[in-house]
Amino acid sequence: MNQAAPTPKDNQGDPVVRIDGRLKVTGQASYPADIATANVAYGVLATSTIARGKVSKLNIEDAKAVTGVLDIVTYGDMDNIGKPKFGNTSASSIAPLHDRTIFHDGQIVALVVAETFEAAEEAAMLIHADYEDEQPSAGFESKGTKTEAAAGKNPMLKEDPKAGDFDAAWANAAVKIDEKYSTPTQHHNPIELFSTTAIWQGDQLTIHEPSQNVTGWKVELARQLKLDPANVRIISPYIGGAFGSKGPMTARTAIVAVAARRIGRPVRCVVSRMQAFGTQTYRAETRHRIRMGAGKDGRITAFGHEGWEVTSRPDPYVVGGTSATARMYDYGSVLTHVSIVHADRNTPGYMRSPPETPYVYALENAMDEMAAALGMDPVEFRRINEPAKEVIGGKPFSSRSLIKCYDEAADAFGWSKRDAKVGSMREGDWLIGMGCATAIYPTAVAPCAARVRLTSDGDVRVQCGSHEIGTGVRTIAGQMAAELLGIAMEKVSVEMGDSALPPAPVSGGSISTASVCSAVMQACETVRQKLFAGAVGKDGPLSGSGNAKLDMADGKVGAETGKSAKLADVFKAMQVGAIEEYAEFAPKGSSPEALKKLYAGQPEFHGGEGDEDSVKYAFGAEFVEVRINSYTREVRVPRIVGAFAAGRIMNTRTARSQLMGGMIWGIGQALHEATEIDQRHARYVNRDLQDYIVPVNADIKQVDVILVPEVDREVNPAGVKGLGELGNVGTAAAVASAVYHATGKRIRDLPIRIENLLA
Amino acid sequence: MSDAKNHSGLSRRMFMTGTVSAAAAAPLLAKSTEAAEPSPARSAEPRELSAVSMRINRQAYNLALDNRTSLLDALRDHIGLTGTKKGCDHGQCGACTVLVDGKRVLSCLTFAVMAQGREITTIEGLASKDGGLHPMQQAFIDHDAFQCGYCTPGQIMSAIGCVNEGHAGSQDSIREYMSGNLCRCAAYPNIVDAIVQARDETRKV
Repeated sequence: MNQAAPTPKDNQGDPVVRIDGRLKVTGQASYPADIATANVAYGVLATSTIARGKVSKLNIEDAKAVTGVLDIVTYGDMDNIGKPKFGNTSASSIAPLHDRTIFHDGQIVALVVAETFEAAEEAAMLIHADYEDEQPSAGFESKGTKTEAAAGKNPMLKEDPKAGDFDAAWANAAVKIDEKYSTPTQHHNPIELFSTTAIWQGDQLTIHEPSQNVTGWKVELARQLKLDPANVRIISPYIGGAFGSKGPMTARTAIVAVAARRIGRPVRCVVSRMQAFGTQTYRAETRHRIRMGAGKDGRITAFGHEGWEVTSRPDPYVVGGTSATARMYDYGSVLTHVSIVHADRNTPGYMRSPPETPYVYALENAMDEMAAALGMDPVEFRRINEPAKEVIGGKPFSSRSLIKCYDEAADAFGWSKRDAKVGSMREGDWLIGMGCATAIYPTAVAPCAARVRLTSDGDVRVQCGSHEIGTGVRTIAGQMAAELLGIAMEKVSVEMGDSALPPAPVSGGSISTASVCSAVMQACETVRQKLFAGAVGKDGPLSGSGNAKLDMADGKVGAETGKSAKLADVFKAMQVGAIEEYAEFAPKGSSPEALKKLYAGQPEFHGGEGDEDSVKYAFGAEFVEVRINSYTREVRVPRIVGAFAAGRIMNTRTARSQLMGGMIWGIGQALHEATEIDQRHARYVNRDLQDYIVPVNADIKQVDVILVPEVDREVNPAGVKGLGELGNVGTAAAVASAVYHATGKRIRDLPIRIENLLA
Repeated sequence: MSDAKNHSGLSRRMFMTGTVSAAAAAPLLAKSTEAAEPSPARSAEPRELSAVSMRINRQAYNLALDNRTSLLDALRDHIGLTGTKKGCDHGQCGACTVLVDGKRVLSCLTFAVMAQGREITTIEGLASKDGGLHPMQQAFIDHDAFQCGYCTPGQIMSAIGCVNEGHAGSQDSIREYMSGNLCRCAAYPNIVDAIVQARDETRKV
């Protein structure tokens, strides 16, 4: 046992090592751009250098003349192709090669295809456009943006949550906080570059591309290319980090497919790190105003949360995190409103805990400010405002272990040793600050299909079109099957990441473990029942035992009497070599079309605040120590402790790693990450990994993850709450709280950098 | 990219091959001229192919490569060793780290022609012939030192380099000398633990 393998507590599964661990440490795990492809040609994008206007002329002659160039796909070449539609499977309605309008800087103007990567790159650099350019609007500060109410524009936010009489409660509140907060544009920057490899065989198209949604993409790409979805296959067995960036398909996929069809050869386009900033999605920049009123007893009487978010000109992307903030505490009244601001930018998209990261950051900062204004301990302040039911719909929480998380994390952190006085803790040249904040993430689940096969030799194969983006879902799906079928993990194989497999929902919204495990459970249950029937049947080895209390363990079927039969003997009696079951799981409350929609790549999500009976969330509490150099104001985070309760934990190893990674993301949100924008040209400036700062090894020291036992039978058959996105919610507010404790400076705009702490 | 000559009149090719005799260029060339291997046969035109010989994972390779081809692209696209990953192509993420003559090198910032006569070790070359893992590979599994696994080959190659350089003496030193390898899944504490576990055994390999 080591730190990476926490001992399971109640309702927690073993820290089984990753099923693909050996492949990943030997370089044998093949990511989509690794797939050996004979006769492949190389594609390189050319992108716009203005953010608003029109391409009057694209000069491609010099590029065409480069030795080795095979083709250039540009305006006019996509005319017979369907335009992308903004939605869950498509990143944006911007169809870059369908018309010459430029909506944002870095928009695709051409794809060069050549015999070699070097020739394609050289040629792409020689393409230049003549523009009719207009002054772009970069964002909040710019003239010419268009602001509109977000509610109803996007399924992410159907309406602005509210409760009670906010105006009256606010007017009468004894203590008030009225502050503004902001979070910057951020890019996911998974270390794997975005890429598309398109291979045609007649009218059959195979795409190798890192994807969090192979089924959805298959259907959407088929629509764009006017193909039967049965002729399109998306393959993405390993994904080199995603964080939401590989959820929606971008316009590039169809362009590369068209290029491959034109030249009659496979084409691979690996997008440069720099070009990814403009051709992929990103986390929208947000601003917040929070008004919080409380009585002297610490009870919150009024909570007002207004949000503003940047989006592109054509698409109503909505972050909309008020759904969670409005239900977080026992507010007396709630008033929320979200606006989107259309600017000359590419369309934002989902990025790890898309709504919660920015909105809970604002809320938890305000909570810390209010606790300080009341002179209360911030943990105590949250305890006082712990709700019995959520205040918007009056529904109970399916489970809520927030206070338990606070207690366990506070204890492990040593919160009681904190001197509450601001600026009171110091060691040599280092000012010490300690802070905390709440993490919350909605628990959702979606329909999912899976196929499970068990052979008489005890080999298990699980097939499910979900996606291994690093979460460990491949391991966990195998673990679920191994446990239910009583087979050693070494005998289990799991296939994922291929639209030819049984469909699974998009791997987003932390739904995969719950959805996939529920489907695998269902398939395994049928396998078990068939085996049990065979075991106790007339010719079965356990004939006469009755099948009420049968179970499977150690490669055997066992009866309550203690009698057991080897799998091989049961199969022999049944006269079959393998049992294979295909299961379609639909969550409680699913519509009659739910499974049909799964196959169509439009799965219904259930859970969160959308269910009738209860609201469903996972919670956590995070405590951070910061050390700030009294001269240089350099901020370090020597330790962070998080305690999380997320229902059944399938595997304590992968769960801890995900939560730890999330918390480190949170440190990055707090202190490092921001995409800088040249306001004059609406252009991203720091478009590489040198200047887009993410945490490196030296930024991180002690990270402690506590898995708090919790049982929740309402959320889904597996009893699992997703936790891939939980860990980085609240973290930045905990850091900001600690910075305030150390310095007395309340930094409300992320990221917190040295210049904010000087003087 | 189209001009093979730079303003001083020295060709890019000449800088790379180390065949220039101009005294002013000598410091730049010191390393190349020390190489015992003969220079590869090259064309004056950068787009034309050069013959390059190198040893990769204890096997000899003779290749004809565009002079602009990076060692990374040579490994991935020409040799089929795709375990080495491209994360930025700018030397900023460390995913492409390989060992060249035992030292860690960013293969995306190395022209393949610069590897003439060198001994390259990639992630595929670490495990023994019978499939036994290198202690660093095993330690990465034991400590769950990855999630998506994409940066992992670079992390492992860099970790071996870090140990062999003598920079793995303390956890702080490991953190510092492993900071050229980004892990967006942020498995950093697990990576440090893995290197501590494998440190002594790696020195013996």
